[in-house]
Amino acid sequence: MKPQLTLQTPLELPAHEIPNYLKKLWISKDELDSGANTFSLIVWQPSWLEQCFVKSKLINGPITGYLTEEIITAAKKLILENGLPLATPLQSRELIDLLNKNIFDDSFEDLRGQFFESSISTLNPRRIITLAPTIQDKHDIKTFVSAYCPLSDEIRDQTICGDLVVFRGSIRSIVTEGLKIIEKLSIDDLPSWLWWNGSLDDSPEIFDYFSKEGKRLIIDTANGSSERCIDILTKALKSKRAINDLNWVRLKSWRESLAMIFDPPSRRNLLEHITQIDVDIEGDNMVQALFLISWISDKLNWQLVEAKKENEITLIKFKRDNGDYILTSINPMPIGNPSIHSGQVIGLRLISKVSKDPKKNTCIILGSESAECMRLEAGGMADMHLIEEVVPSFLMSSEADVSKLLASSRGDTSPLFENSINITSKIFKILKF
Amino acid sequence: MQSSISNPLRLGLRQERVIPPQCLVIFGASGDLTHRKLIPALFELFLQRRLPSEFAIVGCARRPWSDEEFKEKMRLKLCDKISSHEQEWTKFTEFLFYEPVDLQEESHVKRLSQRLIEIDRLKATHGNKTFYLSVSPNFYEGGCKSLKNVGLLDDPIKSRIVIEKPFGRDYSSARKLNKIVQSCANESQIYRIDHYLGKETVQNILVLRFANTIFEPIWNRNYISNIQITSSETVGVEDRAGYYETSGALRDMLQNHLTQMLAVIAMEPPGKFDPEAIRNEKAKVLQASKLANEIEPWNCCIRGQYEEGGNYDNPLKGYRDENGVGKNSTTETYIATKIFIDNWRWQGVPFYLRTGKRLPKRLGEIVLTFKDVPVHLFESTIINPAPNQLIIRIQPDEGATFKFEVKSPGSGMRSRPVEMEFSYDESFGEPSDEGYVRLLADSMLGDPTLFTRSDEVEAAWKLYTPLIELMENAPWKLPVHKYESMTWGPPESDQLLAKDNIFWRRP
Repeated sequence: MKPQLTLQTPLELPAHEIPNYLKKLWISKDELDSGANTFSLIVWQPSWLEQCFVKSKLINGPITGYLTEEIITAAKKLILENGLPLATPLQSRELIDLLNKNIFDDSFEDLRGQFFESSISTLNPRRIITLAPTIQDKHDIKTFVSAYCPLSDEIRDQTICGDLVVFRGSIRSIVTEGLKIIEKLSIDDLPSWLWWNGSLDDSPEIFDYFSKEGKRLIIDTANGSSERCIDILTKALKSKRAINDLNWVRLKSWRESLAMIFDPPSRRNLLEHITQIDVDIEGDNMVQALFLISWISDKLNWQLVEAKKENEITLIKFKRDNGDYILTSINPMPIGNPSIHSGQVIGLRLISKVSKDPKKNTCIILGSESAECMRLEAGGMADMHLIEEVVPSFLMSSEADVSKLLASSRGDTSPLFENSINITSKIFKILKF
Repeated sequence: MQSSISNPLRLGLRQERVIPPQCLVIFGASGDLTHRKLIPALFELFLQRRLPSEFAIVGCARRPWSDEEFKEKMRLKLCDKISSHEQEWTKFTEFLFYEPVDLQEESHVKRLSQRLIEIDRLKATHGNKTFYLSVSPNFYEGGCKSLKNVGLLDDPIKSRIVIEKPFGRDYSSARKLNKIVQSCANESQIYRIDHYLGKETVQNILVLRFANTIFEPIWNRNYISNIQITSSETVGVEDRAGYYETSGALRDMLQNHLTQMLAVIAMEPPGKFDPEAIRNEKAKVLQASKLANEIEPWNCCIRGQYEEGGNYDNPLKGYRDENGVGKNSTTETYIATKIFIDNWRWQGVPFYLRTGKRLPKRLGEIVLTFKDVPVHLFESTIINPAPNQLIIRIQPDEGATFKFEVKSPGSGMRSRPVEMEFSYDESFGEPSDEGYVRLLADSMLGDPTLFTRSDEVEAAWKLYTPLIELMENAPWKLPVHKYESMTWGPPESDQLLAKDNIFWRRP
C-alpha cells in the first residue's frame, strides 16, 4: 500500500499552542464531532539509518520514515564493503556509526510523520503523534499539526477524520519539551498505543516514560539486544501493561503451519512423542526462535529442565508429564541475503519417535524455502516418515504488520504471547547465569 | 460435525477480528431463539475471547422481568452448556441486562433509550448499538419506526438492525417492508440474517471456487450438465404449526436458504473480497434466475405433503394430523423446482432445488453433475460410465466428494466410479461454529458479507412469484402430492427430473 499524504500542508505551531489548536479543530458548527472514535497512536520514528544515508548523500531525500528498498540496498552494500557480518541488523549501532563519520549535509527535507501508509490510515486513527528525533544534538523542537480525512472505497455518510502531530528535534528537546505536551494531547476514552519503530536499545528514558504512562505498547524484538527485549517484555507482564510484538506477529505463519500439520485427528498422537526440535534462524538474535519453542512447550505442557549454549548453538531441554525428555536447539545459520528483521526463523524440524524402528517414526520439517527443507532432511531423516511444508516468508512492511495488529488486537497482551514470554524469560535467565 | 480431541497447537490461534465495544439489544428476548441460539452463540464468542470487555446484552420483551430474572432464566435454559463453564458464565452474566419493552409502545422504546444511555456509560460501549429483531415479522415495521422515532438509529455508523427471516411473504410485501425499513435506517445499517450463510461449508463454496484454479474453468455450461441442491429434514412440523401453516416449504426454506445456496454456487467471481462486491454478484445471478417454465409453472414444480409413516414401534403422524394443522390443509411440506439462469455461464443448465420435512435423512448438499464424455472408449463395470460429480455436503459430515472413473483392477480395460473425499472432521477434527456465532459476530463487526441485501431478497421473491401466484389463484394446478413420512418425497418429484433423463441423487 502506498503512503497517504495529508490534504493540507502541516502547520508549524509552537508546541504549547497545539493542545488548544486541536481542541478548536474538532468543534464543528453543527455540534457533531466528526473526529474518528477509534484510537490514538504515538510513533517513535528515529529512522537513524535513513537520516544518515540522506545526510551523507548516499541516497536522495527527503526523509520519510519508511524503510524503502533503496535504503535496504544501500545498507546491505555498506555491510559488505565494510566486512560486517551479513546478518548485521539494519538498526545496529555499528552501521549508524559507520555512516556518522561521513555526514556533511544538514539541509534536508524531513517529512516524517506527515504521511503514513494507507494500511494504517484505513483504520482511521483519531490522532497520530510522531516523535521524529534528529541525529544532531542541537536541534530545538519543532512541532507541526495537520488534519486528515482518509479517502475510503467504502461508501460512508460521514467523513471520518483525524489529526497528525509531529515533534521534530533532538532527543533532549523531545524529552524536555515534547513529552510535557504529549500528556495534554491524550484523548479521554480512546485507547492509546505507542509504536516503538526503532531499536529497543534506543532512548530508554523515552520508552520507559510511555511504558509507565500505561500506553498499549507495540515493539519489535527483532530490533534490539536480546537482554533489553526480554527485560521489556518481562517488565510489561509484571506490571500488567499491554504489550504487542511484531516479531511475534511475524511468527504467525510458522505457528499456523505447524498447527495445520496436526489438524487431522489421525496425527494428534505424534504430539505425544516429540523427542527433538531444531530451529534454524538467521543471524544471532534468538528471541523469535525462543518464542516459537516456548509456545510449543506451553501448548504441550512441557516443563523446562535446562538451557545452555554450546558454541553458537542454544540447547534447551524440556520434560513431558510422563518423564520423557525433549531436546530442542536453536541454530544460527549464515544466510546470503538475510531478512531486514534479524533472527527470523527459517526452518523447524520436529522428530516424533513412537518406536525404535525409524520407519515408524515421523519427522516434520517446515522450511522458509526448499533449500532449507533439504538441509533439514539431511542426517538420515528420510528413514522416517517425512511431512514437509514450505512456509514462505512474505515479510510485509512494519506499517502493514502494525495495521494487522491494531485491527485484530483486543488491547491486552495475547494470552498465547504472555505464556510464551514467561517461558522465554525463564530460558533466558538460565542462559544468562 | 463431530467433536474430537482438540489440536493443542490450534488453541488460541483462531483469534482474528475483534468486536468493537458494543451494546447488543435483543427484542423478543423471552422467545425461543434467544435461549436456543442467540445467548449460546454470544456465550461461545465470550469463551473464544472475542467479546470486548466493553460489552452489554440487553434483553427486551413484554414480560416484566428484572435483570436478575433474565440472567436466571438464561442460566436455567442453558444449564447443559454452562455446566462445564460455571465461572465463565458468571463473568458472562455481567454483560446481561433486561428491559421490559413492547415495541409497539413508543413510550417503552423511549424508556429503553434512556436505559441504553445508562448502560453505555456503565459498560463504556462507545454508543455502538446492534438491535436484533427476534420478533414476529408483523412487528418489523412498528419496531423499526419506534427505534427511528426515538433516535436510536440516527447514527449510521454506530447503530444497526439485524432482522430474522421471513422478510416478506412475497415480492410486493418484501418491497414494501424494504421501503419501510430503509426509511428508518440506511441499507448499510440493515442486516438480514440467513443462518445458512453462517455455515462453514456454505462459505467454503466461495473458497473452493475462487481460491483454486482447477474448478473455475469448468464451472459453467460447457462442462456441467445439471446442479441439484437439497435440504432435507427428518423432523415434521413439531410445535411450529402456527407459523408453518402460513409459510410452507416454499417460504420457509426454498425462497431463502436454498436460493442463497443457489446464488453462492452460481455467482460470478467478485472483483475483490468485499461485502458489496460479493452481494452485487449474488444479486445479479438471482436477477438472472427464472423458473424453467414461467408460463406454465406447474410443469417445473412439485409440491408435496407428508402422510403418516414410520413403523409399528415408531409410528409417525401425517401432516394433517399434527397439532395445530387443519384437516384439509394444503400447505406444502415438500417442494421441488427446476430453475434456469439466463446468463452466459449457465445458459441451458438446469438447477433442481428440493426441500422437505420428514424425509429419510437430515442433510444439505449441492451436487454438480458434469457432462458425459463425448466418446465411451472403455467398457464400464456398470451399464454406462457414471458422470463425474462434485458433491458439496453442507450438513452433516461437512465436506466434499469428487466422483470419477478409474480402471477396474484385472485384465481388460473396464472402468468404474470411485470417490475422492474431503471431510472437515478428518482434516480439521474441530467442530465448526454454529451459524449464529459467525453471523452475530459479523453483524457487530459491521461486516455485511454474509447478510442478504434488499435487492437479493427482492430478486429471490420475484423468482418464485409465478409459483406463489399460482398457489394463491389456481392451487389445483399445483396440487399437493402425498408422500409417506421418511421417504424422499412424492413420486411426481422424480418425474420432474426423469423428463430430462436425470435422477435425484439418493444421498
